[in-house]
Amino acid sequence: MSLIEAKGLRKVFRQAVKEPGLRGAVKHLFTQRYVDKHAVDGIDLTIREGETVAYVGPNGAGKSTTIKMLSGVLVPTSGELRVDGFVPHKQRMENAVRIGAVFGQRTQLWWDIPVRESLNLLKDIYQVPEDAFRRNLDAFVELLGMEEFIHLSARKLSLGQRMRADLAAALLHDPKIVYLDEPTIGLDVSVKQKIRSFIKQMNRDKGTTLLLTTHDLGDIEDLCERLVIIDHGRIIYDGSLQAVKDAFARERTIHLQLGSELAEPSLLFSDLPEVGMDRTGPYRLAIRFDRFRITASEIVKRIISQADVADFHIDEPNIESIIRRVYEGSLDLELAAESPVAASREA
Amino acid sequence: MKKYVSLAVCSMQNTLSYRLSFVLNFLGSFIALLATYFLWRAIYDGQSELAGFDWNQMKSYLLVTFFANSMLSYYSESGITNKVMDGTVAMDLLKPLNFQKARLAESLGSCVLEGLLSAVLISVLAIAAFGIPMPVDGVSGILFAISMLSSILVKFGIVYCTALICFYTTSGFGVIWARMAVTNLLSGALVPFAFFPDWLRNVAMALPFQGIVNTPTTIFLGMSDTREAILLIAVQWFWIAALWLLGRSMWGWAVRQITIHGG
Amino acid sequence: MTRTTLSVRNTPRRILFLYRRLFGQQLKAILEYSSDFYVMIGAAAFTQIVGFLFLWVVFSRIPVIQGWGFWEVAFMYAMIYFSEGVGSLFFEGTWRMLRLVNMGELDRYLVRPMPIVLQIFCTGIGMNGIGNIAIGGAIIGMSLYHVDIDWSITSVLSALVVLASALAVRIGINLAANCSAFWIRTSGNAFPIMVHNMGEFAKYPITIYSLGLQLFLALGVPFAFVSFVPAAVLFGKEDWAAYGWLSPLAAAYVFGIALLLLRIGLRRYESSGN
Repeated sequence: MSLIEAKGLRKVFRQAVKEPGLRGAVKHLFTQRYVDKHAVDGIDLTIREGETVAYVGPNGAGKSTTIKMLSGVLVPTSGELRVDGFVPHKQRMENAVRIGAVFGQRTQLWWDIPVRESLNLLKDIYQVPEDAFRRNLDAFVELLGMEEFIHLSARKLSLGQRMRADLAAALLHDPKIVYLDEPTIGLDVSVKQKIRSFIKQMNRDKGTTLLLTTHDLGDIEDLCERLVIIDHGRIIYDGSLQAVKDAFARERTIHLQLGSELAEPSLLFSDLPEVGMDRTGPYRLAIRFDRFRITASEIVKRIISQADVADFHIDEPNIESIIRRVYEGSLDLELAAESPVAASREA
Repeated sequence: MKKYVSLAVCSMQNTLSYRLSFVLNFLGSFIALLATYFLWRAIYDGQSELAGFDWNQMKSYLLVTFFANSMLSYYSESGITNKVMDGTVAMDLLKPLNFQKARLAESLGSCVLEGLLSAVLISVLAIAAFGIPMPVDGVSGILFAISMLSSILVKFGIVYCTALICFYTTSGFGVIWARMAVTNLLSGALVPFAFFPDWLRNVAMALPFQGIVNTPTTIFLGMSDTREAILLIAVQWFWIAALWLLGRSMWGWAVRQITIHGG
Repeated sequence: MTRTTLSVRNTPRRILFLYRRLFGQQLKAILEYSSDFYVMIGAAAFTQIVGFLFLWVVFSRIPVIQGWGFWEVAFMYAMIYFSEGVGSLFFEGTWRMLRLVNMGELDRYLVRPMPIVLQIFCTGIGMNGIGNIAIGGAIIGMSLYHVDIDWSITSVLSALVVLASALAVRIGINLAANCSAFWIRTSGNAFPIMVHNMGEFAKYPITIYSLGLQLFLALGVPFAFVSFVPAAVLFGKEDWAAYGWLSPLAAAYVFGIALLLLRIGLRRYESSGN
């Protein structure tokens, strides 16, 4: 059963255009010019109950805007949207009890009151039964290690503590769906681990559906089975994380430090046009290649024929570089999904 | 000197760029003027004279008061207070500027616009609706202009010293409100001193606030002869100097606090 | 994998309960963190006393203005401050809407299962309201004492209805005016403050104004129902007392407009970062 269903979802912001300088200010006084910014430009998204979805894209791609529409904060400009059968911005109340949300940098907690009081307040707001509240609170305090700071007010918490408290606040009422907007941004590794294992456990034990935006690829690899990539307000990839990894597992990059200048660089890989060569500094090269077409040792051999090689190392492929290159438009994931490697994996 | 001029110009531009806020604030105080105008009109209904003021004089009084009050308005005042409150003072210490002179320059800069706007509005009102008597001869006209300018400086002195109090409290609004209430009463902005009981009038005359409203209105209405007018202006300047020195020593004290204890 | 999705219905009782909870927590936080709200309380009380002195000075010259005596006008004057105080102390959040909107803080309100208005109201507490309520209440009490009023069960009941409506009108005006935050984003609170200043008109009997202004204060931004109409009802001014029946209607009208503006505003709400 699908929990979230969005069709042709769109959000347009109107932005006033200001011209610089005093003349611009005076002009602005009389004529206001606007441009439409299509933050989310017609996306279709279906998420089933219990799924874990990473929603990624470069800054300004429309990730947060989407999540805010799903959670009922923003009203869509057009398109259809249902979350567990309700239209979020119209049936705000029904939607609110079904979701939990953590919006990155901004806390949901009351700034000046102790975390424990905040959670108590939320209990009353969501009308969580006393026994369920006790059970959840005890579990959260232990899993997230909140004992040390639960008596402090939000303003006194470190970023990592605050994020943990926010997570507890978002999950206190056992929501069906949790939206996490950059949940681990700026946190150190141990807190990240705590948060990830907590989220994983919620998904495993309670079947909580998860939609996560992040720039942290560790989050994605740790938590999510499905990857949705958005750019310029449009979904450019929607499929399993594994398929993406497999498709691009053939990508490698070799970094070389040369002792002298290459004699004829253009001739090096003239037979292999898909090999990419970047100069990353004086006497430094980065070469991207498909390991099924050419081996690393073959590449090094060819370079040595033209120049001294002082040092080299090979980058293992990671999801980060893959996604980055999708943003840059140098990879086509639709093709990737059909690539022989991915196909063989599926089989 | 040049740097202070450019500060003033900058402040003027700033005021312009927040023009909507500025105009709305101005309208807000205009509403208060209208309300008191109608109140006085009702009071004068059937009375030819109250405390030595006839209705025409009272109208002039209201307009001149409004003009004096619109200088260094709430808008500019909160600007100074915010400077003290938001902790940017420490940054200002790094600049080769005298804090007090810089604030004065900024205030005068926005005063130009405030004065312009209210002058326009008042002229329209004066001509269209109220029909007020103007000072008759050139001498009292000039004296009024001088007292008006001095009024701004007196007000600056009071506002500046009050703003420095915000070093001791986080309640900037409270301090501004209290200052406004005191100024309103003791400057003669609410009601002419002539309406006061004797003791209150004596208290008011002994304090600097009267230089803001009472002095220019008295001169405008021709209620003082030339000698008295000059004396009143001299008293204004006594307060300008005294408040300037007070502000300077308060600032010096505050700076020592900052540099010793950290911002 | 068992889950019972909670359901939440906003009964009046629940709303009152939540208001108490939220207000109580805010109050605790304020008492703990900001030590010098007494400056605000003092300043608010002082401002009001000065205004009262003004009335007193004026009325010492002339006993009656258009049929209204000193204590009657003092009552109207005090109602404006008293209602302002109630607005500050219990509904201060309306004045924080600009920040809620501009900083995207409405986000967290929108994902919680309780009315937005309730959450806006509880965003803050203006302790200065205590000063206004104390002095305003005192002046109101004194004027009720000084004016000869024919007390009966009906007059007490109608007084209560009219006074409650007066407070509702005032808070509704605050809310509606502050909804401007959704449209005017660059000018601070200037617009709602200007609307707030229109209360100046209602410090005095509205009969002193021109007809256009009177209509505006009765039908446009109905400050007349905050001070003038309650005074007319309480002091049995026959020409105007009948308007007391419209007081609840005026409250409903103002709140209707405010909620409508909030609704439209929320559609435009852009959160932050965009």
